[in-house]
Amino acid sequence: MPAITIKNLKKKFRIYADRGQSLKEKLLFANRRRYEERWVLKGVSLTVEKGEAIALIGKNGCGKSTLLKLMSRILFPDEGSVAMDGRVSSLLELGAGFHPDMTGRENIYTNASIFGLTRKEIDARLQEIIDFSELEEFIDHPVRTYSSGMYMRLAFSVAIHVGADILLIDEILAVGDAAFQAKCFERLMEIKAQGTTIVIVSHSMAQLERICDRSIWISEGVIRMEGAPSEVHPLYMEYMGQRTASTAKKPIQTQTEAQQEELPAAITEIALLNTNGEPITQCRTGDSVVLRIRCKADPQKAEEALIGLALYRADKLLCYGTNTQREHLKPILLHQTDEILCTFSPLQLVAGTYWFDVALRRMDMFAYDYRAQAVRFVVYNAIDETGVAHLAHEWSFSNQSKTGG
Amino acid sequence: MRLFRELYLYREMISSLVRKDLKGRYKGSVLGFLWTFLNPLLQLLVYTVVFSYIMRSGIEHYYLHLFVALVPWIFFSSALTTGSRLILDQKNMIKKIYFPREVLPLAYTTSSFCNMLFSFVIIFAVIAIAGLGVAWRALPWLIPVMLIQYLLVLGVNLIVSAITVYCRDLEHIMGVVNMAWMYLSPVVYGIDFVPEHWRTWYLLNPMTPILLAYRDILYHQISPNGRLLLLALGMSLVILLLGMYLFSRLQKRFAEVL
Repeated sequence: MPAITIKNLKKKFRIYADRGQSLKEKLLFANRRRYEERWVLKGVSLTVEKGEAIALIGKNGCGKSTLLKLMSRILFPDEGSVAMDGRVSSLLELGAGFHPDMTGRENIYTNASIFGLTRKEIDARLQEIIDFSELEEFIDHPVRTYSSGMYMRLAFSVAIHVGADILLIDEILAVGDAAFQAKCFERLMEIKAQGTTIVIVSHSMAQLERICDRSIWISEGVIRMEGAPSEVHPLYMEYMGQRTASTAKKPIQTQTEAQQEELPAAITEIALLNTNGEPITQCRTGDSVVLRIRCKADPQKAEEALIGLALYRADKLLCYGTNTQREHLKPILLHQTDEILCTFSPLQLVAGTYWFDVALRRMDMFAYDYRAQAVRFVVYNAIDETGVAHLAHEWSFSNQSKTGG
Repeated sequence: MRLFRELYLYREMISSLVRKDLKGRYKGSVLGFLWTFLNPLLQLLVYTVVFSYIMRSGIEHYYLHLFVALVPWIFFSSALTTGSRLILDQKNMIKKIYFPREVLPLAYTTSSFCNMLFSFVIIFAVIAIAGLGVAWRALPWLIPVMLIQYLLVLGVNLIVSAITVYCRDLEHIMGVVNMAWMYLSPVVYGIDFVPEHWRTWYLLNPMTPILLAYRDILYHQISPNGRLLLLALGMSLVILLLGMYLFSRLQKRFAEVL
């Protein structure tokens, strides 16, 4: 029997325009009780095998958190069914049920009992929970004296030690500092290795790719796509990228229009093109792409200039930065040049979402124009590489002991 | 059946809620836990003054006649009054974590039950001080009577707390219902005061046979009427089953409505 079996699951919410809570309001304003029914899930079927880790991805409001709440039995389905085989622990809301006046130790007992543990079971796990949380010296202080980081550490520690067969996690891998996050992550991998089924909702594709065997992309209350994270994520990222572009997220400008008026030079257009000169928003690792920058200048006032580029990954990691001056190119004479092409042949980035920041500067680095996130694009690759850049390499295999030498 | 198995798994949660409730109920008040005893004693004082000296009822040892019914009544009325809020007050937990929701009424009923047991200490103290003595042979009957009442109170708790989530008015209506119900039960008076031709209807109040049984055991010092006790058990079970059914239906939308 699979760990989770979901059949044609549907869930609707009633959205009240103005809801009367009291009897008087209910009787007097019966017409005001009109509500709109919104189907948040429109028929989701899903099977998760024991020991499998799956990721639920989708934009905000797509129904993924509702699905998670239905799995945890906080909500009940309107149609269809959810069957969970085994003890379920949900890390939907860490520390719910914590009492501020009680000590860390007392809260461990209360909190763990809410997960359905008996006193004996809690006794057996107590030390492990305290050790993991790294709160040994504070454990007998009331939790209201804890910092929010300490609070989350304790809560996470309890939730992850309840010995669940199925663990439901909603966007909580952002607990505490980087070191503790790494530890939580390691612990999750361990738990997974022990055969626990895991369902995670997150926006961090990198985390999901490391831990999950399968990604389920939910859109408008139905499963839009499911498969290996390396297959689903690039398409999802592309979709999100297009959405961002179509919702008119203009390139962020660090200078206002008014300032631009006064400045003698400005960037007028930035585009990413393929080798045929057509604009693109996506490419494959190893494709050749051209970054085209057009600018205008007041020939009287403009001086010599340089172009700077910075390539960022979606998580704001600077992947590469350069400018024409550093590369010892001649200064750009703005009264002669209005189009600059920078060709990447090939563009050796691993799959992911990236953007370029482009700057047009005077030779003393004063910025005529700076366009942050000027072009956003998605890189795919069938190979599931990690890191930033694809480094050209070759493998060879031989057997040295036989050929002698 | 699955519900019972699950509730058994969550026994630690139930017992920790009961402990928290017993400890926390009077937290921050100067007299603290003493209020568990003071509350019924002060009520006893008021009713005794009214019904022994103003509206003279002519009942011998009126204070005891009253007290043995008042303490169980307070247990019952806890379900009608504060019990109505018991789901509402745990809003945060219900919206965020799964646990069998029946844990809450079960824990609340149990902690109210414990409070009644503590008050029984005073009943026996009053009996001892007054030198009235107890009927040892009738005394074991207290156990089934208390258990029957526990089932009844649990049933009422399930019904009232679940409906209040959807209709907040119930919380306020319950104040009046509580008062009316008390005067329609043999708390401040004996059953002899009820007109003959009303008796049949009067016995349909599930608290009537229960209070009469307590009074038989502790005041009249006789074993309770077996048929009345069976009637009490029957009515309590009906209410409990109704409560369980209603609660299981209504709890599905708790997280959405709260």
